[in-house]
Order: sequence, then C-alpha cells, then structure tokens
Amino acid sequence: MAPALDIAHLTKHYRMGHTVVRALYGVSLTVPPGEFVGLLGTSGSGKSTLLNLIAGLDSPTEGTLRVFDRDLAGMSRQELSEHRSKSVGIIFQSFNLISTMTASENVALSMMFAGVPRAQREQRAAALLESVGLGGRGQHRPKELSGGEQQRVAIARALANEPELLLADEPTGNLDSKTSGEIMTLLRRLNEERRKTVIMVTHDPGLAAKYAHRTVTMLDGTIVSEVIA
Amino acid sequence: MTWGDTLRLAFRNLGQARVRTALTVGGVSIGIASLSGMVSLGVGLQDQLVDRFTKSGMFDSITVTTMSLGRAGGPAGRMAGRGRATATPAPSPTPAPSATPTPSTTPTPAPAKLDDEAIKTLSALPSVKAVYPMLRVGLQVKLGGYAEFTTASGVPMGAKEEGAFQSMAHGSFFASDTEDACMVSMDYAKRLADDPGTLVGKTLTLSYAVPAKAASAPASEPVAPDLPALGAAGLQLRRVETPCTIVGIVERETGPALGGASMVTGLMLPLPKARAIYGVQITNAQSLLRDQTEARTYPSLSVKVDSTRHTQDVEDKIKALGYSAFSLNDLLQGAKRAFILLDVVLGLIGSIALAVSLLMVMNTMIMSILERTREIGVMKAIGGSDAAIRKIFLIEASAIGFIGGVVGVALGWVLGRVINFGVNIYIERQGGTTGNLFSTPFWLVAGAIGFSILVSLAAGIFPARRAARLDPINALRHD
Repeated sequence: MAPALDIAHLTKHYRMGHTVVRALYGVSLTVPPGEFVGLLGTSGSGKSTLLNLIAGLDSPTEGTLRVFDRDLAGMSRQELSEHRSKSVGIIFQSFNLISTMTASENVALSMMFAGVPRAQREQRAAALLESVGLGGRGQHRPKELSGGEQQRVAIARALANEPELLLADEPTGNLDSKTSGEIMTLLRRLNEERRKTVIMVTHDPGLAAKYAHRTVTMLDGTIVSEVIA
Repeated sequence: MTWGDTLRLAFRNLGQARVRTALTVGGVSIGIASLSGMVSLGVGLQDQLVDRFTKSGMFDSITVTTMSLGRAGGPAGRMAGRGRATATPAPSPTPAPSATPTPSTTPTPAPAKLDDEAIKTLSALPSVKAVYPMLRVGLQVKLGGYAEFTTASGVPMGAKEEGAFQSMAHGSFFASDTEDACMVSMDYAKRLADDPGTLVGKTLTLSYAVPAKAASAPASEPVAPDLPALGAAGLQLRRVETPCTIVGIVERETGPALGGASMVTGLMLPLPKARAIYGVQITNAQSLLRDQTEARTYPSLSVKVDSTRHTQDVEDKIKALGYSAFSLNDLLQGAKRAFILLDVVLGLIGSIALAVSLLMVMNTMIMSILERTREIGVMKAIGGSDAAIRKIFLIEASAIGFIGGVVGVALGWVLGRVINFGVNIYIERQGGTTGNLFSTPFWLVAGAIGFSILVSLAAGIFPARRAARLDPINALRHD
C-alpha cells in the first residue's frame, strides 16, 4: 500500500518584499497509513508551512509531495480544492467554524462542496456529531458551544467526506488541559478505530509524546530529529 | 455544488446582513423604479396618443378619390365645394408618399368613378368594415328669424363610436339614419342660441335648390319665386324645404381635418339624408349642365378598415383598382418610431439612477467579501473551489438585483399612479380629457426585473472574482 504521505526534498520559499524567506528547506518524510505523527517545533520552524502544503492550501517551490500516491506539486487550483475536499480533513487551532451556521450546517457545508445531496448531508452530519460526542447539539451555533465542543464540531466536519488523512494544526492550542486531553483522546480513537492517518502540529512535546506514534521535530525549515514512541 | 444549495446559501448570507441587504435592495429598487417609471411614462404617452388617434377614426380610415389627370391622386384634402366633381389635387401639406402613385408606375385601369357602384366594389374588399361617401352639401338654415347658408356633412351611423361623437356636449347621436334629425357643432350652436343646451329638440328648416323637373326631390314647397332664373335653356329651379330636429350638439370639431376624414362640420345630417339632397341639389351653373339622369359621383369616399393593421393592405388594393387612396397610417408609424426614441431617452435618464445602484451593489459585495474573508478561507480549506465561491457571490448579487427589481417595479408603478392621479386632477380642472400617463405592460415588468438581475450580476462579477481568487492561507489569518 502506498504511503499516506511521501515527501522528498521539499522546499518552500516565500517572497516578502525583496527578501526570500526559506520556510522549508529540503524536507523528506514518509508516513505509512494509520500512523499518528506529532510535528514539533517552535514558531517559525516551518511545521505549519509543511502542514499547509500537505493540506493543499499552498504549493511547494521544489521537491515531491505525494498524498496516497497523488502528487500535489503539479495540481491545478481546481484539483487542489478537490484534494482538500476529499483526501484530507483539516482541524484548526481556532476551530474556524462559520459563526452564522449551526453545528450541523458547519459539518454539512464541506459535504455541500463535495456535492453530497441535501438529505444525505443532514443525516450524515447528525451521525458524525453523535460520533464525536455531540449528539443532539446539531442546532447550536458555535458561540453557544464551549471550546472543546467547537473543536469536536470541527473534527466532525473534517471527517465529513471520509478522508484518510487528518491534519491538525495545534488542535488543543486554545483549550484547557482537561479539554485538550479529551480532544487528543478523540483523535487517537479516530486513528485507532477508523484507521485515519493523523498528522498533528504542536509545540507541546509532552502532548506529542503521549499520543503520537512518532514525533518529528523541526527547526529552521528542516527536520532535526525523529523519535518513535 | 448544486444551484439549489448555492441559492440557499446566498439568501442565507443576505439574511445575515439584513440592514446592509435592505439598504442595497433599496438603492437598486430606486434605480429600477426610476427606469421603469420613465419607460412606463413613455409607453403610457404613446398608448394615449395611439388610442386617441385610433378612436378619432383617422387611422383606420382611407380616403379614396379618383385619379386626376395632372397629378394622379394626391390627398383630397378637405372637400371644399362639391361643385368640383373630381378630387382636387389640393396643394397638400400631408406627407404621404404612398398616396401619390404616378400613372406610369401603376398598372392603370381606366380612372374609376366614385359612384354607388364603387361603394359596392370597395365594400367587398377583405378587412373593409364600411364604405361611405364623404359628403358636403350647401344649405340654407332657418331657425326662427335666423337664416344663413352653411355646409352640412353626411354622417354615417357607424361614426357613433368615433372621435368627436363619443361624447356629446348635449343630446345624443342619431337614433336612426332615416329620421329627420341633425346635429350641430358647439360653435355653430352658439351662433344659433345663447344657451346651446336649449337647442336640443328644436327644429331647423333646411332649404336647397333642385331642378324643377327633378322627380326624386322630396316634395314640399312649390317653386321659389325669389330664385333668379338661372336657366338659359329654360331650366327652372325650385326651392325645397325640409325640417330637421336637433338631437345632439357635438363638443368640438376634430382637429385638422386631415384627408377629409373629419365628419364634423357646423351641421351634420344622417348620411342617407345628405345623400338624397346631394343627389338632386343644384348649387351652381356647372351642376346644371350635368345630365340629370346619370347617377352622381362623389368627390371622395371614406373606407373604414376593421383594424389599423390592415390599413396599408386595403390602401394598396384600392390603388390597384385605379383609385387614389390615402390614409394617415404612415403618420402613425412615424409617430410610433418617434416614441421609441422617446422611450430610449427616458430610459437613459432612468438609467442614471440605475448606474448609481450598480455601484452600490458592487460596494456592498466588496464590503461583504471583506467582512467574510475568513469565512471564505474556511470554505476553501474544507473543499470550496474557486468556482463554487464565485457562484455563491454572483448568486448573492443577482438575488439583490431580483429583490430590488421586484420592489423597484412595484415602487415605480405606485409612483406612476400617484403622479397620474395628481396630473389628472390638474387636467380635469383645465377641462381636458384624463387618461393613463403611465402604462406598465407585462414586458416592462419582466424586462425591468430581468435587467435589474443582469445589472446586479454584472456588478457582482468583480467582487466575486476577487473572492474566488483569495489565497486561503491569508484569508484564514484574516480577522
């Protein structure tokens, strides 16, 4: 089986004014399906940039980037949006729910972009919310939910189109330690029970060590160490 | 992403920013109201004019004259004296190129006579409703001590629904065309009595001269002794008198009697009666010389067509029969063209407000997109394609246009009614005829709403494209 993620000599340069910022500098990483990877590093180490590239939110400058054997480097804008829609599920630090929509509508929105019929969307959104422990709270708007609950909605949304790869960018960064534990347990459960490959960016080595199979540490745009738990 | 989903999402988004949506819709509706109101005014004015012209009986009637020798045909103009037996090629101010065929281009049959036979022939043509002679007879009118010569016209019963006869100042139209009745014009009535209203029911005495031997003359008085002996050939004249009761008074004479279509003169008789007098009357030496046994010809005939659409058609057929024919249809077509120009000008004035609302829609959309930058970033991150995002915002702009269009048309209509109401009060006070200055046909309603959607859609193109091209990473960082 093809690796969930296959990265080789990946480089990403940003142009800021007249200076070129090297966000990533020759990163190589292979993640087999079903692995839970913790991506550690200080801010500016390039871990978020790497996650954005895997998510298809940005395009690499050089190198290869394959997600389940599909090369993202040559993809058009349309193909990248399809990649984001179906191949990956993204979970943000600040949840990024649409505040004017209910929990159920937020989950259904990503299915709407994927072209799932309405009745099916609603049914599936309810089931997904149930599975993340928010049964019966579908009609609540984000501001009526706690931080932990909002992140559960975001996780349900990320799962909506059945991606094999979940990308989490500091998913517990805005949560207290108790809630963080719950969210991490949920991610771990999804990894174990549903065989989702998880790549999680965090700056908390303890969290990574506790829940991830492997911890990859980055510094100044390159991978400096890998620790297998 | 389906259209249904997009529509729902767009309307949901509009509902989220109610005040802004309401203000923008308000702006668009004012633009559409001014545009549709202006065009509606143009259409209303045109309808009024066309309607009035059509009812005047001038556009569904064709004046038929015989071909004269010098210039074939030519509008007959007003029938002056019936002593001129054939149509007079009057120096005509009337632009009617179709009415002046030259003998060289027309396959000329022998110049046909305008007699009773001709009336039958023309009546048989398709789309012809009625044919009657245009008659003017000179008469002496007596009422009490008043006596004056005047010209009377023959009015067919069919004219009841036309022009000046639609609303009578006093009395009514002829009940039948066999009675000894007449109508007078308001101007003439004022000469006869101080209060024209009292004239209805009074009986006038009409007198005219006929040859002494004319058998068909309605017998009444014996030979008038006061008539000069005209006949060198010993022809004797006698005066005939006939009574007629005034049944109605016509408000006013219809405008310029173009093509002789107007039947309003000082005195109006039922057509058969005027015809009877015309058949026997002697007015000058010329008519004395005519063979009395021969049927009289008419100076011109008026042909009524069932619809103004057929006027041109019938006119051409009549010309092919060797007559000269003339109608005002061409003028009407010209007037319609002028109104299209008026509509365009009014539309352009109305469009200024619409241009303002276009900018307003654009501004609203840009603001909305700026405000929802993060939301757009989220939508992109969870799989929204450029096309889907663009579609959402284009539909949103169109929805503003649609609502604005519907509200605007309604607003324009209400405004038109209000202005119309006010103007009609003024017109009534001035003694004019009221009517609808604004007309809002279905095509205008549909067109205005459609146009509003299109304009708003156009205003949404630039903002929507901007939204679609947003970089998701930057958009997600946006607050």
